[in-house]
Amino acid sequence: MKYKDYYASLGLERGASEEDIKKAYRRFARKYHPDVSKEAGAEEKFKEIAEAYQTLKDPQKRAAYDQLGAHAPGQEFQPPPDWRQQYSESPFAAEDLDLSDLFAHLHAGASARGARGARRSMPGQDYEIAVAITIEQAFQGTQIDLDLNMPEYDAEGRLHRTPQVFKARIPKGATDGQRLRLPGKGGKGLNGGRNGDLYLNISLRPHPLYRASGHDLYLDLPLAPWEAVLGTAVEVPTPGGVVRLKVPPGTQAGRHLRLPNRGLPKPKEGQGDLYAIVQIVVPSVVGETDRALYQKLSNDSAFDPRAHFATEAGHAT
Amino acid sequence: MQLEVTEVLWFEQHELSLPELAELSGLSPALLEELLDCGAIAPLKLQRARTELRFGSAALRTARAAGRLRSDFELDLQGLVLALGLLERVADLEAQLRELRARQPQPIL
Repeated sequence: MKYKDYYASLGLERGASEEDIKKAYRRFARKYHPDVSKEAGAEEKFKEIAEAYQTLKDPQKRAAYDQLGAHAPGQEFQPPPDWRQQYSESPFAAEDLDLSDLFAHLHAGASARGARGARRSMPGQDYEIAVAITIEQAFQGTQIDLDLNMPEYDAEGRLHRTPQVFKARIPKGATDGQRLRLPGKGGKGLNGGRNGDLYLNISLRPHPLYRASGHDLYLDLPLAPWEAVLGTAVEVPTPGGVVRLKVPPGTQAGRHLRLPNRGLPKPKEGQGDLYAIVQIVVPSVVGETDRALYQKLSNDSAFDPRAHFATEAGHAT
Repeated sequence: MQLEVTEVLWFEQHELSLPELAELSGLSPALLEELLDCGAIAPLKLQRARTELRFGSAALRTARAAGRLRSDFELDLQGLVLALGLLERVADLEAQLRELRARQPQPIL
């Protein structure tokens, strides 16, 4: 198994006091707790800190950890032979274990002893995983591959790390911020305890065309000035395929043209809407012919886009 | 041995009873009742008797966050209620921000 330096995880020296350990944990927890932190990689960092703290805050576990000796982080090592007898109640297969399992195991041993041999049932651990999917996947539903590595007791009561690979179907209707639950797919329960659950936290990847809000989608619709003035019919991409959208004459920039039921499907029934947001776009390079036409329009048109300036300024005086 | 199973996911859309909520969140029924009394966790319908209360996915999410915050920060009830209230406001503001961003046309390059 690979060695982890729990003191270094908390930014401490080996001889740190209980108070120092608690303070260091609190400082880091405030910074990296996944429920309160928005920092990238916060969840991983918090797991590392919490694992270190779980062991170091408990004098018995800390003593056991200290007796493993100091190794370089990541270095392969084995607990000394007498360590197992002293600290471990039941056998374990050290090769495929994580260091944290050793101390979780220590805890399980202690509580089994507390119950006077009657093996206490313990529910399996719940896991939460972040899953990023595309808007197309949310529209159609998708399958994702999950590759988990969870500690588990075998038939002889020995602790193992068992890789679990399975596919999960994400039904259509998932959207940003939604959670899905896979009952019983978390850690295995102990002594008849129920299996833990697996939660998937869904997020949508940014899309070059669409922006999602709940099950509604927003799309920028660029129009040429004359299209906005005269009205037109345009082809608009939607996740379900191209649709024809009628742009009425005199359409202003910023207007939301609604395409009902063209957004993301909702879980049970119904579908969000797609909004095309009108943008009026001018060419960055204008040819001679165009320029002449614009010039003629400029000379002949009576349109004053700033007529209200004069009125409003008049009110002010 | 690697097992490959295709799992059909269960959308968090069915209703949970108070004991089910306690089991799934790992919180004690007593603490859940206190969070309920403070309004930190809300049932789907208010008027019914306690044994008939039903909870949705939002309550499960809050209850699970409560369990994590309580153990990871060693919070008491008051601290927990405060933190949950603030987190709910943050989530609400983030949802509003997401909606505003979605509605905001992107600048043309």
